[in-house]
Amino acid sequence: MRVKEETQDRPATAGIPVAVSAWLVPGLGHLMLGRTRRALTFFIVVTGMFAFGLYLRGRIFQLNTAEPLTFLAGLAERGVGLPFFAAKLLGMGLGEVTAMTYEYGYTFCIVAGLLNMLIMLDAYDIAVGRKS
Amino acid sequence: MTSHFLILAIFALLVSTAFALLMRQDPKEQLRFGVLAFVCFLGSAFLIGWLMYPFPS
Repeated sequence: MRVKEETQDRPATAGIPVAVSAWLVPGLGHLMLGRTRRALTFFIVVTGMFAFGLYLRGRIFQLNTAEPLTFLAGLAERGVGLPFFAAKLLGMGLGEVTAMTYEYGYTFCIVAGLLNMLIMLDAYDIAVGRKS
Repeated sequence: MTSHFLILAIFALLVSTAFALLMRQDPKEQLRFGVLAFVCFLGSAFLIGWLMYPFPS
């Protein structure tokens, strides 16, 4: 009941700017909510994981609807936010299929995106009062 | 980098840290949860590796 009351205090739209910021820059949503330590940790974890994935010759997937799994992988990678688009603009993430670490690389990139989506939802929940 | 174990350990460390911060509020509980998740990651990798040992590569 307490959770419901807190939710009613703040409209659901109040969390949208926080969620969008959290998606664009990992940890920014928590920083806006005054959670500096968490924000910094999330930034290091997500961007570090994505960068390490690229270092391991991982691939940035296209949103190819003809290949459902590739489409989902590409969607998950876009969860990283601005670091993803920066890497794409710089021509990174072409993927080296023959590299031993290729599969590890794209797994790191995909998981970094999925983690940032969870972090974004967490920031949204805090912003609207569902979570303390 | 060619060490499978090191890559696994880095993956486990990063994911455990994120989940500990997302799922626990108190710093002490976060540390406990993070360490437990990290150990479970490594332990399950060793267990699966051990179970797969008899199979030819």
